[in-house]
Amino acid sequence: MGVETVSAKEKFKQGLQVLSDAKPFAKSMYQTNVFQLGIELAESKEGMQAIYENASKFDEAGVFFGGPWEDASKLQPPLVGGSLKLKGVNSIIELFSEMRMLAIAKGDYHHEKVSEKEARSFLNEVLALNLDLLFPPETEAARVESGEHIERAERLFQYLGDELSFNAIAGKIVGEIERLTVQRPIMVERIMKMIHMAKRMLEAEIDQKSKKSLSAFDKAITFPTPVSKKYKDLRKYQSHLKEMDEPELIEEANAFAKSVNATGLVSPHHATFTRFLNRANGDLLPLAFDLSETGTASFNVNKELIHDIIQLAIHPETSQSIYGLGRMLDRGVLTQDPILPAIRRLLELDIHSKVKRSLLKPEYKRGAITANGVLVAGTVSVLGQPLGVGQGLNPTCQSARAISLWAQHGIGQLLEYIARGARDNDIDVTFEGEVIHASGLEEGVAGGEIHQELDPVSIVLVPHLDKIYNEMMKRTLLRGEDGHKWANPEFYGEWIPRGFINFVDPLTGFVVDYPAFVRLFYATHHPEYNEGYEMIYPNPVGIFITNVHGKLLGLHAVSIQRIAEDENGEYRLYFYNPNNDSGQNWGQGIEPSVSGNGELEGEASLPFHEFVSRMYAFHYNPYEQGDTYMVEDELVQKVEDIARESWGEAYTWAE
Amino acid sequence: MGNTQTEQMNVTALLGWSLQAIEAIDKLNRPYVVVGPPEFQDFADKNEIQFVAWQFERLNERSNELYEKLSALNTKLAVPVYEETVEWAGALNARFSDDPRIFNRSLLLRDKGLMKRKAQMSGIKVGVFEEAYSKDDVYRFLKRVNEALIKIDGDPNDPIHVKPLNKAGTVGHRLIRDAQDIDLMNEQEFPCLMESHLDGQEFSCEAFVHNGEVRFLNITEYVQLGHSNFVPASPSLEEWRPQIKKEIQKLVDAFEIKYGVIHPEYFISPDGTLNFGEVAARVPGGHIFELIERAYGFSAFQAQILCSDPDTTDEELEAFFPEEVTSAKGYAGSLMVYPRVKLIEKLNFPEGLKKNPYFEKHDMFIPVTSKVAERVGFGNHYGTIFFFGKDSEHMSSIMKQYQEYDFYL
Repeated sequence: MGVETVSAKEKFKQGLQVLSDAKPFAKSMYQTNVFQLGIELAESKEGMQAIYENASKFDEAGVFFGGPWEDASKLQPPLVGGSLKLKGVNSIIELFSEMRMLAIAKGDYHHEKVSEKEARSFLNEVLALNLDLLFPPETEAARVESGEHIERAERLFQYLGDELSFNAIAGKIVGEIERLTVQRPIMVERIMKMIHMAKRMLEAEIDQKSKKSLSAFDKAITFPTPVSKKYKDLRKYQSHLKEMDEPELIEEANAFAKSVNATGLVSPHHATFTRFLNRANGDLLPLAFDLSETGTASFNVNKELIHDIIQLAIHPETSQSIYGLGRMLDRGVLTQDPILPAIRRLLELDIHSKVKRSLLKPEYKRGAITANGVLVAGTVSVLGQPLGVGQGLNPTCQSARAISLWAQHGIGQLLEYIARGARDNDIDVTFEGEVIHASGLEEGVAGGEIHQELDPVSIVLVPHLDKIYNEMMKRTLLRGEDGHKWANPEFYGEWIPRGFINFVDPLTGFVVDYPAFVRLFYATHHPEYNEGYEMIYPNPVGIFITNVHGKLLGLHAVSIQRIAEDENGEYRLYFYNPNNDSGQNWGQGIEPSVSGNGELEGEASLPFHEFVSRMYAFHYNPYEQGDTYMVEDELVQKVEDIARESWGEAYTWAE
Repeated sequence: MGNTQTEQMNVTALLGWSLQAIEAIDKLNRPYVVVGPPEFQDFADKNEIQFVAWQFERLNERSNELYEKLSALNTKLAVPVYEETVEWAGALNARFSDDPRIFNRSLLLRDKGLMKRKAQMSGIKVGVFEEAYSKDDVYRFLKRVNEALIKIDGDPNDPIHVKPLNKAGTVGHRLIRDAQDIDLMNEQEFPCLMESHLDGQEFSCEAFVHNGEVRFLNITEYVQLGHSNFVPASPSLEEWRPQIKKEIQKLVDAFEIKYGVIHPEYFISPDGTLNFGEVAARVPGGHIFELIERAYGFSAFQAQILCSDPDTTDEELEAFFPEEVTSAKGYAGSLMVYPRVKLIEKLNFPEGLKKNPYFEKHDMFIPVTSKVAERVGFGNHYGTIFFFGKDSEHMSSIMKQYQEYDFYL
């Protein structure tokens, strides 16, 4: 009478049938079994195929019934990777969801709300966002740490990769890399990782444009010059440099400069080359750094200091700082006399042991780079790329914004803070006459835990700044007005005007007098309404971050850098976003651009009114403003409509 | 037309929220209403399940409200799904049938002290028991029981058991061997029931009773209490079925149980002596209803509902129930898994078990919260493995083999 053994595939089909037969309220009792059988099937490629063959029935059977995956049209590509990497039942549901999407994309399943094209673009984006799953790192360590749900996700991606063309994905990835590099961030780990993984696609069938762009990026972080390509080993490369004559060295310098100029990415060979020139032929350094006239002049006046900086701070492990060094010289930072000793001080500063530990990442230790070297490399980067400062994975946009502001307009103060933070592991700021010591405070906005994937300056400063800022805000808690009004000018410094407005009533949480807010911003910032006063320093403003559907995600801090007309005569607002990823889609067609509309390095921009519609607080100079009644009603109404239909839905509007 | 007919038909109330029970009654095509905690209101509305929100705390002066609400819906019958709803069903059915005694009978099932006393008075063999109101009572009872067993100083004590008077199954159960065990008890645990330890094989029965007569008797064999059991019992236990059946009928008579399902537990000694443990009048734990359905092919939930209804005819019942034991298609078993780690890192399901022909399915995932919750009775296992096969001994041996296996690491 033996009990019949049924293949997993057959069992899966039966499980789906039972689920299908169940009434909606009872579905949840039968979903579990389908998920379990799905996990089993997903262990092999054939099993994946079996899951796919049934994917067109998932919706009808109720596989996603009652859960967040139910409506395929509401799914978001950025969330897929996270769910797949979770342990537990969600990862298999997510896998089913991709299979349903694939069935839609291939026309095997007709979905009412999602077209073939939309499904395809959804999956392409999913693949592009999860290259680590598409091209898993082959190290043993990664394997051991992975676990079966990760392997399952990788199998899914192989399956999807086989089914979809790499072409579309490659386009997405290249676009993503271009979008990120054009903002010239200091921290390029994420970009490098993407390039490393996307590299494998060079062998696949992808279009020439993507291929060319991708290989250029790959070259930039590996072997950007003919000689470096020939001598991949750094030691052999350096030995060979000694045999090169001047014209050859010039050619090499130009090749490096060209690569860095195009991508903002620096290869380790570039550091070796720089160190070699620093010892043997310092006059070629301006070429290798791609310096402007100002930069070269600044270089020539400060040869000794630059020599020391390179000697101490520029190593293959810190090669990215070469870009910062070049831009710092171009900016003329070293033309300000007090800056010189302030930088020189860092070369020999006695760094606090705790700070040392956080600065010296394993790769620096392996390279025997000193903590001073790391700190100086980081300082050079920040001074060269003030808008490249990023908050990393921390909710510390305020601190990042402060470092960026000081790097632009308060270099002396920034260097003082760096020295103080690195040496004493403390910073103090005076707030309303009272000194606040970071070392005496427990918690910051980030809850005392700072994620360490940050540039060296941020590593030193953010833990302190975050606590101080938090403390200042705490002290203003009971004033019945937004504390930023007082905290910002004292935290950031005298660059911040004292006028301040926030339309959210801190007591009720209601939106109050929104039209007045809009009018005031136009009258203080828009060149056609503000009597022609130009912005002098960046203005730290509060904005609502919204997702692609315009739904409120949270509050964020950015700085308006400048306001200017673009090529088409439209006024745009150019801003710095400390998340280093300014080109996010904010919904309602509002998508900040990072290039092509007159943006400088690290800037993002939006048409004036679009930006205003996301703002909730800004500073202004009450002595420099136009008449608010001159701002047209239609204009105010237009902004208000956009606001109400996006983040405004999450707020109560006071009448 | 159809609608008016439905309106006139008597409505059955399920007391307690159980999707399985709801699905079962839905498939019976009889009008029903579910009485459950308010948090299920939305779900019920969305799925057009007639629902009355109710918190089953102690019966109180507000209880009449529930009766009024159900009555307005033309409810004529209440079926309890969980232990806590048994006296509610008693109270409601007493009103529906205008027979106050139904309520008092249900209380017998909700107070383990009363239950034991009633059984003893009816000549059912039970261990020695007493209610305890303080730790002193427990010391004395342990001492007296062991004196009665003629233990002298230095002999290890025979253990005693304490359990709450009104909790399901093993919730709050303690095994007491010596004074230290008593010290661990909390003041809140009193009053409780103390019992002498009964040796022998423990098993449970699920008796479907209609009009005071056992219409179907399932015997569930415990491989390990609270961890693994299968249905029907092995031939060596089923051998005692006539005696067991007689005992059950005695119990039914003594407790004047007329309608519904009862779930008593017994200990059987090698010579066939049956000691009564306790009895509940609700859906049993351990997935036993599911096992009955797998083995016999009928829904035990539906059986409970049919048997709870005095209006169900003999013909209907005869048509519904298959023959005991012989009609089973095989043995259906379940192994309940409790993590033995504090934090769950991964699921460790053995390949060999997956390939075992007796293995049917399991429902284990790595839970979203990896922290393992504290155990209350045997109530909250993290996963269940279901088996099905033709040989009870083989079934037993697989379960024993994986009893100590760590499915969660």
